[in-house]
Amino acid sequence: MSPDVLTRNNVQVFGRGTRPMLFAHGFGCDQNMWRFVTPAFEDDYKIVLFDYVGAGKSDVRAYSAERYGTLDGYAQDVLDVCEALDLRDAIYIGHSVSCMTGVLAAIRKPDLFERLILIGPSPRYVNEGDYVGGFERADLEGLFKVMDKNYLGWASFLAPVVMKNADRPELSRELEQSFCSTDPKIARRFAEVTFFADNRADLPKVRTPSLILQCADDSIAPAEVGEYVSRHLPASTLRRMQATGHCPHMSHPEETVAAMKEYLARPVEVPALVSGGGLSASE
Amino acid sequence: MSFVASPASSREEDPRFDSAPAGLVSFADDGRIFRANARLAEWLGRTSAELEAATFDLLLTPGSRVFYQTHFFPLLKLQGAAEEIYLSLRHVNGDDVPVLINALRRDEAGGAVNECAVVRTRQRDRFEEQILLAKNAAEAASEVKSRFLSMMSHELRTPLQSIAIFSELLAAGHHGPTTERQREDVDGIKAATQNLVTLIDDILNFARLESGAVAVRLEKVSPGTALVRAESLLRPRLEEAGIAFSFDGRAHGTKVNADPDRLQQILLNLLTNAIKFTRPGGQIRVDVEAKGAAVLLHVRDTGSGIPEDQRQRIFDPFVQIDRERVPAKKRGVGLGLSISRELARAMGGDLTVESEVGQGSVFTISLLAAE
Repeated sequence: MSPDVLTRNNVQVFGRGTRPMLFAHGFGCDQNMWRFVTPAFEDDYKIVLFDYVGAGKSDVRAYSAERYGTLDGYAQDVLDVCEALDLRDAIYIGHSVSCMTGVLAAIRKPDLFERLILIGPSPRYVNEGDYVGGFERADLEGLFKVMDKNYLGWASFLAPVVMKNADRPELSRELEQSFCSTDPKIARRFAEVTFFADNRADLPKVRTPSLILQCADDSIAPAEVGEYVSRHLPASTLRRMQATGHCPHMSHPEETVAAMKEYLARPVEVPALVSGGGLSASE
Repeated sequence: MSFVASPASSREEDPRFDSAPAGLVSFADDGRIFRANARLAEWLGRTSAELEAATFDLLLTPGSRVFYQTHFFPLLKLQGAAEEIYLSLRHVNGDDVPVLINALRRDEAGGAVNECAVVRTRQRDRFEEQILLAKNAAEAASEVKSRFLSMMSHELRTPLQSIAIFSELLAAGHHGPTTERQREDVDGIKAATQNLVTLIDDILNFARLESGAVAVRLEKVSPGTALVRAESLLRPRLEEAGIAFSFDGRAHGTKVNADPDRLQQILLNLLTNAIKFTRPGGQIRVDVEAKGAAVLLHVRDTGSGIPEDQRQRIFDPFVQIDRERVPAKKRGVGLGLSISRELARAMGGDLTVESEVGQGSVFTISLLAAE
């Protein structure tokens, strides 16, 4: 099974250390998004990168609507990669939606992860009652429309060719342009799975210590959401960054690397047995 | 025209910056806007100064902000350029302003600068929406059709099997002796049943192909093997029709990447068609040609040929040409060529046709050569 997973998820392993760092990309992107931060860790860690099925250079044929109809399917990709490489006590770095796939993976297999670094986490994007997620449903319909329009031309021109070469994924790859998602239909479904997910009830179940990196003016995961996550995720540390936006590892790699290194230099926190708030370390 | 970071680069020097018939805006990686021209500001009901105090994502609708953060910015950062990105900006009065954006990224001493040219697409936006709706509706309809075909074929097969079994019982005289005349009638029922089963299998195959449910297993295959088998299956029909059949001896030495059953199916289909449209005394021949990484199998007949205006249509489902010329019991439903082409494509190849009316037709199966 292992070689299949390594190909399926386009797993890349490099670095001169032995402690594993597993980087999980966000929605709309692939593992390339990590290239501004990984060089800072290559000397001391074993870096593991992968693409979710449907993203980057993953094998699209492995996609199934059932498996990837919820974030659990994506969390299973994470666990499959860990198992294929026999990773233990990994440092998991997730961006955006991958924060929640990391949370789900850590609940299912706590032994695999030493700690989690969550960049811009949100357990629920849609506002609900007193909960502020940052989006109304209509906003997300707007996102789907923008996605459909941007993928429209691409989908109609390239999809048949991509399908035609389904048995030779390397040919499809050459045709891949612009967006990192390999298949517009999968990307669209991933958007719905991501933005309509509700993982609030999962947060207190996590026993793995975590660092939450919260950007200033993050229009996808606003400050209230970061605070919510830190209140409900046991043994979590919230760090508010100077960096603005939603992709600090791309827009502000130096600050992101510094925050990660500082956290990794600390001893592992013992998780509270009773679910409760995390620590808060504002900059 | 460069319109970037340096805060002092002045509008006064080049008034075209503001009057250009496009929105122009430049921003840093954190979204901070360096400069925005008057045209863009006017579209949003704001001033350039207001825009230059904002971040780029604040100009967008919430849905577009997500797209910006998850697609547009990563693309720009990773690839240095992005073209024809559709986004919705937000007017100060709350209206959406649909735009297309081309963006370029440059690294400057003080940090990266992302430059965008923005074009409004109000009319285009409306009809693109209609195209999208139509496309989604068409895809949904096509899926329903395939499901329907597949379900119907299954449902039809069951009673047909009963008819086949009961006619066998009748013919065998299980319930008492039958007269000569009755046996002839029963033979008619059996033949018609067999015909229907074949048609339904075609429809089922086609529905499966359309829904992508047919798996092809590629292996190293010699077309010669498939041709020998096809010839032995079709020998009685060829003799009955008085048609000579031959094939290129190289078919045995050549190897292609194909699913042997599917290749057989395509060849049988093409040869059966050729027999239908070729007069007694005519010829059918299969030639083999190696062309780069491909192997071409040309199925030539000396039949009636296909008029130019029909040549592409014959691959469409349910299309039959010269229907009236083919005897009713030899007619299909017009799926053979659609299925054959889909199968060839599923194996990484294709099926094409060349023809001259009165001279005959050449159907060419292209397949990948095996090492």
